[in-house]
Amino acid sequence: MNIVKPSGTFSPASSEPGSNVASESARWQQEVFAPAAAGRKDRKKFVTDTGIAVEPLYTPAHLEQNNFDYMRDLGFPGEYPFTRGERPGMNRTDPFVISAYSGFGEAQVCNGRFKKLIEFGAEQILVALDLPTQCGYDSDHEMASAEVGNVGVAIDTLADVEILFAGIRADNIKRIGTLGNSIGPIVLALWAALGEKQGIHWSRYTVNLQNDPLKEYIARGTQILPPEPAAKLASDAVAWCVEHAPNWSPMTVCVNHINAGGAGSSMGTAIALANARHYIDLLLARGYSIDQVAPLLHMFPDERHDFFVEIANLRALRRIWARMMKEQYGATEAKAMALRTTVYGHGQEALAEPLNNITRTAFGTLAYVLGGASYVYLAGYDEAVSTPNENSARVALRTLQIIANEHGFTDTIDPLGGSYYVETLTAQVERQILDGLAQIEQIGGALATISTGFARRVMTEGAVRRQRAIDSGDRPWVTVNMWSQKPDVPNTAFRGDARAEERQLTRLAQVKATRDQKRVTAALAEVERATTEDRNVTPSVLEAVRAYATVGEIVDIWRRRFGAFVPSTDF
Amino acid sequence: MSIVNSEPAPRRKIRILIAKVGLDGHDVGARVVARGLLDAGMEVIYTGLRRTTEEVVRAAIEEDVDWVGVSILSGAHRVLLPKLRKLLDESGASDIRIMAGGIIPQEDIPELQASGVSKIFLSGTPIAEIVNYLVNETAHA
Repeated sequence: MNIVKPSGTFSPASSEPGSNVASESARWQQEVFAPAAAGRKDRKKFVTDTGIAVEPLYTPAHLEQNNFDYMRDLGFPGEYPFTRGERPGMNRTDPFVISAYSGFGEAQVCNGRFKKLIEFGAEQILVALDLPTQCGYDSDHEMASAEVGNVGVAIDTLADVEILFAGIRADNIKRIGTLGNSIGPIVLALWAALGEKQGIHWSRYTVNLQNDPLKEYIARGTQILPPEPAAKLASDAVAWCVEHAPNWSPMTVCVNHINAGGAGSSMGTAIALANARHYIDLLLARGYSIDQVAPLLHMFPDERHDFFVEIANLRALRRIWARMMKEQYGATEAKAMALRTTVYGHGQEALAEPLNNITRTAFGTLAYVLGGASYVYLAGYDEAVSTPNENSARVALRTLQIIANEHGFTDTIDPLGGSYYVETLTAQVERQILDGLAQIEQIGGALATISTGFARRVMTEGAVRRQRAIDSGDRPWVTVNMWSQKPDVPNTAFRGDARAEERQLTRLAQVKATRDQKRVTAALAEVERATTEDRNVTPSVLEAVRAYATVGEIVDIWRRRFGAFVPSTDF
Repeated sequence: MSIVNSEPAPRRKIRILIAKVGLDGHDVGARVVARGLLDAGMEVIYTGLRRTTEEVVRAAIEEDVDWVGVSILSGAHRVLLPKLRKLLDESGASDIRIMAGGIIPQEDIPELQASGVSKIFLSGTPIAEIVNYLVNETAHA
């Protein structure tokens, strides 16, 4: 075919297109933008929370600077490197899962709330546990005093889980589960035993756990044991699923709390990826393959300050994960390289005028959806100050439904792919994450971020930097440093029914009095043997849970064996 | 070195113990406040997570502090703060004052103040406000 070149002064072939844009945009910036901006006070600091300077305008020149290559850097949804999405149809055919995190007081009251949430349209429920349960204390333990049922529901034995899901079939909901970061094998066993009680095979429902103890030492604070045995026990739960329930999601490696604690989303992602590698390495050392293990893990990214960084972070993270699994771990199956993500929509929620938090969390959540998140939660507008009430929980679910169905947000896949700004940020965020990961490797990996104080230092410095940015007004915050208002903490803040604790204690005493004590003793002895012999503890824990052993009885075995964590007094 | 010291005795710096009591694991606020008070020239000690009220009282007395600043976000403040006050008083440390921060409903503040908690700062309070309060309220500062 004879191609006729266009002629004349308008010929695009007469100059290199990229460099032309680069010189033109430099000209625009110097000759047009700068004079217009001169003498005007900056409205704010144009820098992301992660420290990336934001330019007034992005052009194809930025893509060229980053050597942007469509096929190498983006590809297609459901295909390597999964930047545009981990599944082929993404929100167009297969919308994100509308999820709710909920739990308070006693199992029976909580069960009523779960039914309401399902009626409102929740497709996944993650149970919020109270602090004694999360920290491995029964409700009748001295340390549990004043905390039973406070920030989540109290679970002492399988009996509580049975009440919690009475009338809610595990296979009628896309996923169910809980956090249980420091008690991973126990919550796994409780949710496995729930299926047995309901007569539903493990292959017919999906359990999701957070089960990520390493970030507890760094950011969340429910750690029980020293980090090394805690990570081993968490990997026991994953290993059990490889064998018995490969359709489950027994581990969610979290950026969320690390970022919220001050690390920033890029360094937070680096720390979380280092944690993920630690768990993966433990599992590979047991003889499992990366193709068996990686699909059972997913991640919980987080960014709540900068809308476009949220989108960039999710896209960069999927790309990094895919390359890490393929190039460093030798994964061959797509599902081992395609990272699923759980997100929890936040913004800069304020204590003053809490209804404004509906707007903030909606924008924060929208960014996650535009970034292609798989499982999406949204914080209640009152969540910063209390356990969400039924009304705020409903608003959260409705907001998710609006994002999923109205405005055309989900009509096309990765709608911001190719945006000069978003692709530039995606490349910059990716570099920040990889730099962070390289620093962590240099100091010795995930456990070293805890033992050397690296993570704590990064977080405190970040938290102090954020506080200064708010105090100085560099980071605008409506009702806090602009149009400032007094905080409003309602009377309901984390306050349940005062008699709930009493009733929980009675129920626990009843369970202990009526269970087959011989069976409990034998089961606990087997947990102890499995622990001492360094076997996977999960089968023995499952038997103990079936016998109505308490969470505290099982954790006490581990406390005796491994000792307790030593809290850091650094700040 | 001169035998006669004409300089006035240096005023003692404000000493404060920042404490986490109970099972609440959120300590970012506690650490940011600790760092802010340190930067403001105070002597600051942090207990670390998950301390009992007894442990906090022991540390406060051993460290000879002027203040205990308790961070609490789990809703256990109505039990733990009065208990801390009572234990300090019973240990002969009535002069050690308590301030608290975190998520505490307005409705609870009068009750907590009546039980001997000197001041409640809700989360979001600028560090400078806490510094000013401590400087004004500490007798020797």
